[in-house]
Amino acid sequence: MILEQHKVPICFTLNGEHVEVEVAAGETALYTIRERFSLKGTKEGCAIGECGACTIVVDKKAVNACLMIAAQLDGRDVMTVEGLAKSEGLNTLQEAFLHHHAVQCGFCTPGVLMSAHALLNENSNPNREEIVKGISGNLCRCTGYRHIVSAIEDAAILLSEKEE
Amino acid sequence: MGVDLFYLRPKKLDDALEFLRDHGKEAAIVAGGTDVMVNLRSGELKPKYLMDVSRLPELKGIEIKDGGLRVGAGVTISDIFTAPILTRLAPALQKASYKFASKQVRNVATIGGNVAHCSPCGDMVPPLIIHEAKVVLKSSNGERTIPIQDVPTEPYRSSIDPEEIVVCFILKPKENVFSDFQKIGRRKELAISRASMAVMAESDVEGKITFMRLALGSCTPTPQRSTDVEYFLTGKVPSEALLWEAGQMVANKMIAISGVRSSTVYKEKAVQGLFMRILFPLVKHA
Repeated sequence: MILEQHKVPICFTLNGEHVEVEVAAGETALYTIRERFSLKGTKEGCAIGECGACTIVVDKKAVNACLMIAAQLDGRDVMTVEGLAKSEGLNTLQEAFLHHHAVQCGFCTPGVLMSAHALLNENSNPNREEIVKGISGNLCRCTGYRHIVSAIEDAAILLSEKEE
Repeated sequence: MGVDLFYLRPKKLDDALEFLRDHGKEAAIVAGGTDVMVNLRSGELKPKYLMDVSRLPELKGIEIKDGGLRVGAGVTISDIFTAPILTRLAPALQKASYKFASKQVRNVATIGGNVAHCSPCGDMVPPLIIHEAKVVLKSSNGERTIPIQDVPTEPYRSSIDPEEIVVCFILKPKENVFSDFQKIGRRKELAISRASMAVMAESDVEGKITFMRLALGSCTPTPQRSTDVEYFLTGKVPSEALLWEAGQMVANKMIAISGVRSSTVYKEKAVQGLFMRILFPLVKHA
């Protein structure tokens, strides 16, 4: 179906790199990221904006890639889970997830990380309630969320210590 | 399955209106896309054109203009939540934005899209009703203004012409007033409202209600203002018993409009309870 749609040329920043690509008119940002850029960290869960597995950060805001038209990425600054760690290894937030056992099956993790990343960008010192609210658009069927919330709480502290 | 689908993003409102004049019937207007993309995927929506209005500057902004509170149709739900002017002049609208879907959806979904989609459970509609919002619609032929209640004709059907775009909402601002929005859903976050209610009330020194607006969402095919309950309570000092009676009136109105359904046994009590939960702070305790 997608192949027969009209193409739209777009360019945007993807994890810090300038990219240019042709997308189909009705293609989702999720499809573009996974299939055209082979960045498989961003997952498709429900595909109707309820589970948050496809969460990416566009212009510093968490959005559902499954509900975004790829053409809307044009000119935007896009970040996927692959953009979290600057070089080899993991970043502070990811390390905190590891340390707190905030990952079980791992399917929701990229989306939760992106929501958490956007939250910490907006509010560097969130309380537990704000963290819960910040990731409430992400479903996790394994962890029961407590470890995830603790990990984000810890990451916020570690990140503020780093800045000092 | 050959699908002829085009994407376009006009730079100016006039360009968008010109396009809709010629192709309005085959075009789906996309702002946040959070409803359109779901319906596109399910096949419910089969447009030839996706017209992206998310960057039109004419649809942005929240400001006081000629005494009215203008909220652009392209304002996102997140923008509504963070706008200080709304904390002061339309707090129920802001409260509704806090409970709206998820952060990811709020960041892109727009108030114009929520209204134009005409879902019976659109959470922006009851707060707009209590502010007696006027909807400004534009087409290449000009502009017209209709009351917010006249936008939905039935669930998911609107009176907006395919050639028209919702440009903005003009609300009657209200300062220093008791104001609330609450909803009942199957869970706390990312819940589709099963019942929602927006209320504004003012009372004098003796506790007598001098001004009231109430709107019920999700329980009727289109959200409704309850003028009879507004009249009933105006001029009275609310006691707990009086509020239960008024809450029953709201529930009765829902039943009168929607008929008795399998859910009525639950919703009748739920609506009454929701009403009580919102208005109980107004009860004067001796």
